[in-house]
Amino acid sequence: MIFDSYEAFRAAAFTPKVCIMGSGPAGITIARKLGAAGIPVVIFEAGSNEWTEESQDFYRGTTVGDPYFDLDVTRLRYLGGCSNHWAGWCRVLDAHDFTPKAWAPDTGWPIRRTDIEPYLKEVHDILDLVEFRPDAPISDDISWVQFIKSPAVRFAEKFYGDLDKSQNIAVVLNTYVRELVGDGKRVTGAHIWSNGADAGQFLADYYIPCTGGLENSRLLLWSNERSNGGVVPSATALGRYWMEHPQFEGGNAILADYDEFEVDRTNEVFFSPTPAAMERKQIMNFGIRLIEMPYPGVKRLIADLACVAPDTAEWAAYQLSLNLRCAAQLYVGWEQAPDFSNHVALSKTATDHTGVPRIELNWKKRDMERRTILEGLKLFGETMVAKNLGRVRLADWLVNGEDYPTDQELAGHHHMGGTRMSEDPAKGIVDGDCKVHGMDNLYVGGSSVFATSGQCNPTTTIVCLAARLGDHLSHKIV
Amino acid sequence: MIAIAKLSRRSLVQAILALPAFALIRKLPAPAPDPDEIIEVNGWIVRRSDLA
Ligand SMILES: Cc1cc2nc3c(=O)[nH]c(=O)nc-3n(C[C@H](O)[C@H](O)[C@H](O)COP(=O)(O)OP(=O)(O)OC[C@H]3O[C@@H](n4cnc5c(N)ncnc54)[C@H](O)[C@@H]3O)c2cc1C
Repeated sequence: MIFDSYEAFRAAAFTPKVCIMGSGPAGITIARKLGAAGIPVVIFEAGSNEWTEESQDFYRGTTVGDPYFDLDVTRLRYLGGCSNHWAGWCRVLDAHDFTPKAWAPDTGWPIRRTDIEPYLKEVHDILDLVEFRPDAPISDDISWVQFIKSPAVRFAEKFYGDLDKSQNIAVVLNTYVRELVGDGKRVTGAHIWSNGADAGQFLADYYIPCTGGLENSRLLLWSNERSNGGVVPSATALGRYWMEHPQFEGGNAILADYDEFEVDRTNEVFFSPTPAAMERKQIMNFGIRLIEMPYPGVKRLIADLACVAPDTAEWAAYQLSLNLRCAAQLYVGWEQAPDFSNHVALSKTATDHTGVPRIELNWKKRDMERRTILEGLKLFGETMVAKNLGRVRLADWLVNGEDYPTDQELAGHHHMGGTRMSEDPAKGIVDGDCKVHGMDNLYVGGSSVFATSGQCNPTTTIVCLAARLGDHLSHKIV
Repeated sequence: MIAIAKLSRRSLVQAILALPAFALIRKLPAPAPDPDEIIEVNGWIVRRSDLA
């Protein structure tokens, strides 16, 4: 059932047990699992079924620290959420992303990859994925890894029919949950804003914010403030340890044989460090993306190489004259070490037009990350030399220790952390089941629960975790 | 040999200490660089033998 307004939904007298906030990949996946188990569930979606300026305005906010995207541009507030503009790159966090790293404080999840693997099969169906190819180490330090460039499922489009027909799932558009109310043990209601006015409280047995990797923190921070700590009783880490995947062009490579690696349909290849290399260098995870270089750039690169290694440059020039692909740009995206001071806060001065404070995002890249990108590229370069696969040139800004470039993409639009998963309530908000510590009926869906970010795009893991949470609740609620 | 024999041990030690360390080391034959060593030159990560 899909309703255009909260009023229409109320008139239908449907009484859900579970209240999900947000209809992105996380919310829709959890709802479908519960619906399939015969559990009545409602998804309140703040936006309508299309982009509107008015709805996006709720997402405005500010960033303090490093440059970041405008917060109303890096996400979408309508049916399907950010799946309406995601690129569809898919990979699950690596097994070693879940384990603690002695050299990086606050790493490690309370669950392991094996806990989400049983859900991979259904996630393949949800995201229309082909089978993943296993990673292939090319040296002791570097593995050739795969991102599936999927058809980028638009959740609203793919599941609209099913959701509309479902007798167990109600999707209610234009319905903004502006606050949860709690007594320190349970959430006792959700304040609804509909049709430009306060529409009172909605009651259910269970509540699951799935409002995205920034908004989950905002909703819970605001709710907790209003309920005097009654929604997130252990709130030390609330909004904290927020993470992105910064990404920059870190250099170039001249390759002995571009076709050595099976390039994907957009001629790209990806590499990541082995766990042993990360440990030896005491760095975080990273991904190096090789993109074929345009011809004029290749010529400049070969001329530069000629100053250092004339014979190698001559060979590369010969390859080029044969019209062979021989050079690539290297983009590096990496894992940020969890950092308490990177956080989502409520603005002290700006509110949305219902009076909820806007987000003030405090975000900075740290030294460990600079080391990760530099050491990572060096490891890659050394592997290329040792295996005679090619030669790597580090970008000038890295070699000269300059600031990050300001004319590049900055990051991945991946909003992670803020309600992170940890057994320790001082270090996280949810437990291994995505349940808020100390609360009986409050769970969280989405990448805000990520304890660490790994190097890969988050949505495949988000959907795995959502399927797992749906499964967990459908066994719990009978 | 004769000149050294005439110096007191104390002056000899003083003379050695006064020599810049470099002057002593310079006399040692430089080890041949490993052509397979991986080095960084102007941002390029290359094998030493590439520089030839
Ligand atoms: C340009 C871009 C490209 C991307 N490419 C990739 C990629 O290639 N691979 C990848 O893995 N990830 C990618 N992502 C990230 C991906 O889109 C997100 O990880 C994913 O959509 C998160 O799903 P979600 O359900 O947690 O949140 P969202 O998709 O953000 O959905 C949240 C939903 O909650 C609703 N909502 C918000 N507040 C409230 C409220 N208070 N009450 C009710 N409803 C509310 C919103 O309207 C929205 O529908 C990309 C993101 C962007 C912006």
